[in-house]
Amino acid sequence: MAHLVQVGAGSGGMPVLDMVAHDPRITRITLIEPDIYQPHNVVRHLFPRQAVGEYKAVLAQKWLQERRCDLQVRSLVRDLLDPAIQDELHRVLMETDIAVCAADNEPAKFHWDHLMRRHRIPWTLGEVLSGGIGGFVHWFVPDGPCYGCVAGFLQRTVEVEKAKAPDYSQPGGPEAATTVPATKASIQAVASLHALVTLRLLQEGSAYQPGFTSLLLTLERVPDVFEEAFRTYRFRVPRADDCLICRPGLTRVPADSSPEELDVALDQALARLGNE
Amino acid sequence: MGLLDSEIGKRRLLSIELPVIERYNDGRDALFKIQVLRVGSSLIMKYRLKPGHNIFQLETRLLSSYPTVPPETRVLTPLKHCPHLLEGQSLCLWRQGSTRMTSRWDPARFTCIFAVQAAWRWLACYEVWHETGEWPLPEAK
Repeated sequence: MAHLVQVGAGSGGMPVLDMVAHDPRITRITLIEPDIYQPHNVVRHLFPRQAVGEYKAVLAQKWLQERRCDLQVRSLVRDLLDPAIQDELHRVLMETDIAVCAADNEPAKFHWDHLMRRHRIPWTLGEVLSGGIGGFVHWFVPDGPCYGCVAGFLQRTVEVEKAKAPDYSQPGGPEAATTVPATKASIQAVASLHALVTLRLLQEGSAYQPGFTSLLLTLERVPDVFEEAFRTYRFRVPRADDCLICRPGLTRVPADSSPEELDVALDQALARLGNE
Repeated sequence: MGLLDSEIGKRRLLSIELPVIERYNDGRDALFKIQVLRVGSSLIMKYRLKPGHNIFQLETRLLSSYPTVPPETRVLTPLKHCPHLLEGQSLCLWRQGSTRMTSRWDPARFTCIFAVQAAWRWLACYEVWHETGEWPLPEAK
């Protein structure tokens, strides 16, 4: 009996959700996804072409309930960063056992990390690299390294993102690396790993020790980036002592400060520095 | 959900960014202190730097999406057109995936004062370029 909360039901998030939701231990799912299913999504997504124009969260809810009628599914058609959703999100997260991040932008990942640490929820994150040349799966637990620790560590120690971001607006353009988006197969390969790690983390909780905190699977040989395809790199990212995101004892303001107290403190600090 | 309208943003400002600005200002000549202004959902840091012989006036903007998105710095003092200068006299300071650590913005390690230091380094290069025609730092890859 576990409640899973996931953000993102795009081409990478939906297969993770599908695989994880087939596990009988998951009995309740809350999905956060604001986007509408677009024609250009069809080639990489689980949903059919006829579904174009509908909200992905609603489609995902239908998809899951068609496969498991006993599953309690709730979809929130909202942007994770929308201030109006935050109170509701906090209520949902108070009853959450495990979470999945399939967001594709950094502000959302950092915000998700903040929410997870605040509610002490174990969570996983999957990332398909540009062009589908490989992908990462990361897992996080309370008091472990945060997303900032991981992103900073990986930027400093490996070079895996030399390939430019795909330009979906120019299919067939001159540069293959910028015009060939990840294939459905490469997305599903990373999604499968992501689902496996999520289910093991659910099962083992704080005892989970797979020998990595971040796993990189290469799917293609790319000169100057990956020497060979289908190779795994296992990273044991430590919690950074100097991390500005999660360092304990960092905050000068009490953890239980009310929104009003934060506003007053901020106004006073800005006034000291020449504002207003 | 941003720097000035979210709990996470306000806590970042109160516990990290504004204290380091106060430390930077502490004991500094009034002319060179950083002034912070709230403009819409952004914060603008206004300050002067003197990397060599000249004083430059700058502003660094912390956008609503800061610190995930790096600060944007532009020089208000008129400059000659030179390498690493973008439209509106914005400085090209960050390059995602760069092999040079100081050229990659890292929200887990850097504060807004790092952007001020990066601007100082850029202006020092500009002064050398102005005299010699050569940018003294190799291009970040």
